Amino acid sequence: MRKLISPDELARDDRFERSDMMDRIQDPRNAQAAQTSGNRRRGGRLTPDRADAPDAARALMHGIFVGEIQALEGAGRTCYDFEVGKDEEDVPFELKLDMARQCWDEARHCEISVKLSEWMGTGIGEFSENVFLFQAACNPDPVLRLTGVNRALEGLAIDVFNTMKEFGDLAGDPVLEFCEDWMLADEVTHVKMGSDWLRKLTANDKERQKRALEFQRVVDKLFSFGGFRGEEDENPVQLARRFRELAGFDDDEMTEIAELSREALAETEERARLAREANATATSGAGA
Amino acid sequence: MATTVSPASFSYVEFDAGTIAALADDLATKIGLGADVPITIEIDETSALGHTDLESVDPVHIRTESGALENPKRLRQFSPEHAADVLGRYLLRAADRRSDAFADAPSDDDLTLEQRTAWDVHSAGRLDRLGFPVNRQRWRYAFRNRHGFTDAADVAFEQLWDGEGLSWADVARISEETAAQNPGPLER
Repeated sequence: MRKLISPDELARDDRFERSDMMDRIQDPRNAQAAQTSGNRRRGGRLTPDRADAPDAARALMHGIFVGEIQALEGAGRTCYDFEVGKDEEDVPFELKLDMARQCWDEARHCEISVKLSEWMGTGIGEFSENVFLFQAACNPDPVLRLTGVNRALEGLAIDVFNTMKEFGDLAGDPVLEFCEDWMLADEVTHVKMGSDWLRKLTANDKERQKRALEFQRVVDKLFSFGGFRGEEDENPVQLARRFRELAGFDDDEMTEIAELSREALAETEERARLAREANATATSGAGA
Repeated sequence: MATTVSPASFSYVEFDAGTIAALADDLATKIGLGADVPITIEIDETSALGHTDLESVDPVHIRTESGALENPKRLRQFSPEHAADVLGRYLLRAADRRSDAFADAPSDDDLTLEQRTAWDVHSAGRLDRLGFPVNRQRWRYAFRNRHGFTDAADVAFEQLWDGEGLSWADVARISEETAAQNPGPLER
């Protein structure tokens, strides 16, 4: 069996359709999406009183479902891609044990997500799949891989699960609330694994630790999705400080993630502004 | 019956105005909107969002954003199924509003989330019986979100979904009686 497979090689049946993040970033309609409509910003915090709340929750849960599949695949690859040893490209046996436990958790999350999708009226593969989680799980350095996946992306999962748990609570949906609560507990453990292994494996290698944290920052910013996650009311998914604290994040790290999200939102709005200007110029040019 | 789709050609999304007009004509015929009723569908292709408004019922004018008609698996591509769901519900709402049975319905802006969802469920059920692909469980979930995750809400959902010849008074009463039994947020 080959090591370090690419995201293109992930096995899926014909219900799944893959989307490219660049296509989404380059969608010409983004110029309008970032614009406010009157005094009402579109979207905003995902709560049941939003007019599109049930469908927005379904779409988000499908995103979580495909994320669980990739998390299973990523943890499985981490068990296999690295040899047990003390060199930089190797890992301790106990790290493999943690990844094996995570595989078990993620497989259970996949099954929970399938049942939850049925409950919410969502078909498997109803929405496109973006393989960004597995892409982060392709890093050849085990420390960077665990930092990118377990701290950045599983950290994002903490924020999403907590937001959806609160959504289920407010909507009075006991099934959603229970499912999210149980998966959230596992995600805290997965992020803690990432925090613990980062510290253990880089205790005597500050340069490697710096590279790993920089990789985490890149992943965190990229997957703030232009303000998708943050601490403002306009962010659909809220930063879950208490659960992140349990998972090994300190206050400074969480403040930095919130700041990265604000930066990502500002950059998205600036791109949108430039796109609107370009569209206006093209339109006036065509009319001249 | 001839539906007008605006714009006539698209540059932000890969939609075809003729395909959308043909779908709307088919929907309008099966729904029973009169052949003499002009229909305009105005699509804001610069927005990927999915907000839709019924601007007027005489003539019928639906304004929507491209995300409402988009294939959720393929960016910027048209989805006949999503379009039938969205345009079908809004054409049914237009047909309802043109009838005496819905003369007392509040304006769209004044509908509560509960009332709007109840009306949508009633429309989705009718579209289902007309042979258009509609996701029943999706609508059950939406209805439960607005009226409570209770047995009473599920009974009300079936009344709206299966109901034929319901008036606005019927829809509003079912919604109001069910919402009154909504236990609200979970208590932990």
